[in-house]
Amino acid sequence: MSTADNWHPVGLSHSIEAGSSAGTRLFGQELVVWRDASGMAHVWEDRCPHRGMKLSFGFVRGNHIACLYHGWQYDRGGYCQYIPAHPDLEVPQTIKVPIYLTQEQGGMIWTTLSGNPAPLPAGRDQAVPLRSLYLDCSAEAAVTGLGLVKLTPFVSRGLADTVVHHVTDTLHAVSTGDDRLLIGVQAVSETRTALHVAICGAPEVYEGPGQSHFLDWALQLRRAIEQPDLRPPAARGAALEMN
Amino acid sequence: MSALVLYNYELDESCYKVRLGLSLLGLDWQAIAVDVFPGKEHLTPPYLAMNPAGRLPILRDGDLVLHGTEAILAHLARAHDPSGKWLPRDGAGFAVVMQWLNFSAHDLGITIAARRHSLFDSPGDEATLRAASSQAIRIMDDHMTARGFAQADWFAAAHATIADIALFPAFALSRDFGIDHDEYPALRRWARRFRALPGFKTMPGIPDYH
Repeated sequence: MSTADNWHPVGLSHSIEAGSSAGTRLFGQELVVWRDASGMAHVWEDRCPHRGMKLSFGFVRGNHIACLYHGWQYDRGGYCQYIPAHPDLEVPQTIKVPIYLTQEQGGMIWTTLSGNPAPLPAGRDQAVPLRSLYLDCSAEAAVTGLGLVKLTPFVSRGLADTVVHHVTDTLHAVSTGDDRLLIGVQAVSETRTALHVAICGAPEVYEGPGQSHFLDWALQLRRAIEQPDLRPPAARGAALEMN
Repeated sequence: MSALVLYNYELDESCYKVRLGLSLLGLDWQAIAVDVFPGKEHLTPPYLAMNPAGRLPILRDGDLVLHGTEAILAHLARAHDPSGKWLPRDGAGFAVVMQWLNFSAHDLGITIAARRHSLFDSPGDEATLRAASSQAIRIMDDHMTARGFAQADWFAAAHATIADIALFPAFALSRDFGIDHDEYPALRRWARRFRALPGFKTMPGIPDYH
């Protein structure tokens, strides 16, 4: 999987509420994902320039994120705007957290470590959040496992095969008939991978019972990848389609 | 003197569960500080007379002396919560609260062991304790994910119960034993709601700001 140039999902949009933050990693690099009060998502290096504290331990107030140690506040551009211990100080612009390009699409928050990336491939589909699965394996191994569990249709009628689609290196889809799950693949590290799963479709169709229906598939998939000995023999059948 | 007396150690998460319960239920209580570390006062004869198992918390309510964290929470809810919400009386509500209290007392014991190992150097293998603790916390995150799809914000009922109180400290203190909150989005959302309950209080290891 190519690294720097690509866009990578770092969480389901739904997982980061307005006014909150969480840490994550991409290729082992620590990142903070936070959402300001206006609803805009940000992905930054997870380190306060002052003492190196993780900003993901901090707190969001309005459109600033503040470090838990000494309350240094950073604006959306990553610039420190306020130091509580020196309330009258005009903070130099050199005190800045490295920030990364951030977009939301397909129910996920995407970022890239590149300063000059190719655009994030357009996807105008509506999406309904499902579950992020964190797995002790490489991204390649996680993707290989996507077809292990047969997908049971929710809106589709009749029987259809479970098909795994390669959309980009970091976005796959698993479908059966008209039901389609989007799978964002986050290489947390070489040995840890997150699969961010969203349902492709309208909230009025899938919210509630549809989410419960596909959560069962997601948890079965996690079990199948984590415990190969327990895989049912029927689970081998899914076709892999590259497009 | 208040009728409710808690034999308390400030750094003990089980004592914290009871402090949370007392505070969220809006009760008056008196805390008696016990020198658990390094004094091991909880293992001295007066304390063993109240709890032969040698553990805190212990609650005195008039003539009743009670040990066992989940039993204390259940007693507080039954005896001192006129609203009846913290421990529902109806069949399924009561049963599901009991299920999660049991999970707290049994499955989350590993998180207590992991934290004691981290903070007080009690015996144990760090990697094993951490792996088992993250498994237990993930069960909670799976449950709250499913609850979210059913438009439910709390573990066992449409409102907070003593199950939420019993389960909160293991997650809120998980950084003490090396487990970050990164991979538990449903618990992060739940913890934010829990922190907004009237009467919520923190303990050392749980930041005041969030």
